[in-house]
Amino acid sequence: MTSVPVSAQEQPLVRSKLKSKHSILGLIILLLFLFPLTQLITANNLNYYLHLMLFIFMYIAMASSWNILGGYAGYISLGHNVFFAVGGYFSSYLLLRDGYSPFFTAPIAGFVAMALAFLVGFITLRVRGPAFIISTIALVLVFRIRLDNWERLGGANGLKLPLIDLPVEQIKFPFYYGMLILAIITVYTSYRIRHSKFGLGLRAISQNETKAEASGIPTSFYKIFAFAISGYFVGVAGAMWGYYLTYITPSIFLLILVGAQMVLMCILGGRGTVAGPVIGAIIMIGTNEFFLSEFGSSELNIFGTGAILAAVLLFFPEGIVGSLRKIGRLPAILDWD
Amino acid sequence: MTLLEVKGLVAGYGSGPDILRGIDLTLEAGQIQCIIGPNGAGKSTLLKVICGILKPRDGEVIFEGESITRLRPDQVLKKGICFVPQERSLFPHMTVGENLRMGGYALKNARETRKRIKEIYRQFPTLKQKRWQAANQLSGGQQQMLAMGRAMVLSPKIVLLDEPSLGLAPLIVEHIFEIVRQFKENGITVLMVEQNAHKGLEFADWGLVLDLGKNVFDGPADTILADPRIQELYLGTRRVQEGI
Repeated sequence: MTSVPVSAQEQPLVRSKLKSKHSILGLIILLLFLFPLTQLITANNLNYYLHLMLFIFMYIAMASSWNILGGYAGYISLGHNVFFAVGGYFSSYLLLRDGYSPFFTAPIAGFVAMALAFLVGFITLRVRGPAFIISTIALVLVFRIRLDNWERLGGANGLKLPLIDLPVEQIKFPFYYGMLILAIITVYTSYRIRHSKFGLGLRAISQNETKAEASGIPTSFYKIFAFAISGYFVGVAGAMWGYYLTYITPSIFLLILVGAQMVLMCILGGRGTVAGPVIGAIIMIGTNEFFLSEFGSSELNIFGTGAILAAVLLFFPEGIVGSLRKIGRLPAILDWD
Repeated sequence: MTLLEVKGLVAGYGSGPDILRGIDLTLEAGQIQCIIGPNGAGKSTLLKVICGILKPRDGEVIFEGESITRLRPDQVLKKGICFVPQERSLFPHMTVGENLRMGGYALKNARETRKRIKEIYRQFPTLKQKRWQAANQLSGGQQQMLAMGRAMVLSPKIVLLDEPSLGLAPLIVEHIFEIVRQFKENGITVLMVEQNAHKGLEFADWGLVLDLGKNVFDGPADTILADPRIQELYLGTRRVQEGI
């Protein structure tokens, strides 16, 4: 059993790079925080860019959140948009009835989504694989029908929300910062879970649940808890998103496409990696927006985005981050695991 | 001192026939006991029942004077019985280090886990060298070493080994049995199933011969190795020696 001393030297190398990596990421975050303020100084109208970026932040948060269950534990959920809807409706309803700002009720909306996830997970996480996926699709359909017919919540017409009371050059600010902070917290949570004993347990579950259980992992509790955490951030995002749009209808949240979006971003970037959902969200929204602005509403954007997706998955079968790591070409700046 | 006792165990899979048909076994503390027998004798099934993966239809498993017959696998593990199945139960896409951490999952104390993993690395330098590699990149022998090292992290009272030498080159088989001996030196009692009956009995203190789900013979390993009847029936060497 001769063995080559392989990664023995790799580690110190990584550690020395760690510091510069942290400072670069810190700088990027700082720039993102300062970016909107340029709008106050210069005459340029950056609202379009702010919109685009807060949209990306939101999807970074949602995809990273989805990744906790779908990536680490390996349970694919196509129904995470239900938590998106629950968060949106909860905060919007409180805004209309009592005038509470969704920015304050968003964390609570997250807990409502979490409670729902606990309840649903308790029932559906008994099954694995395709059966679980189908159960999540069923969840979307059930909520769609319920909300379409819930008169108090506006039924299929939805609810109209008041516009936030700010001058036009600042109107995107609270949402931009809200989504940015949410994205940072979510990615950080995902990172902490990835490195915790809990995360190790979830990854064991994704590889072989029977073995995981035999190793002493309380698998059902872990799965339900992962489901609940991954519902939380999506719920918070939903609360802010509804306020941002100034109206909510079931058809905004409860399309299969919205739920699939999170899944596709994770697969594109690399399921089960910390950086994967972030990269996936940026690429997917970025390319879609690019094709949309190039081809207008000709729906060629769908073709373009699809082509990019197919191409990426052809060359990076385990997602961009996952495949690059496998061949050892992952830039240190993206190695967040 | 009797550590583990199995009494009249009857078990089978699903609604199928009984695989075990009344097995008795006594495992003394500090022993290496080797279970041999032809294919289908119920050797692996016996281990599965002991570690709680398979529920028996009848009979009892008593560990340190306490029945563990109806416990779940993780509860049995917490009692100190660790099972290393044939397929080695590694997580193929996790690194060697992560696999060892999985071995200590049932431990509450993180510092204690780290200390024990360090101890494993001291005993198996190969594993230390490869600790950042995925388990599926290891050779068969190294995987078996990792599986056994993983079992040691918990410092169990008993480890159950299901054919540790399966599919390994003769030189590596020797090495694996050295690890079995290492278990014993660490004060861990070993109950193993072995196809390679000769090698297994050579390293064992006690032997148990199973056939068709029943005990056929039970005694010190060297007695079994010397018994001509058993040699002919289960070790298959006598005829070779006679030149047939």
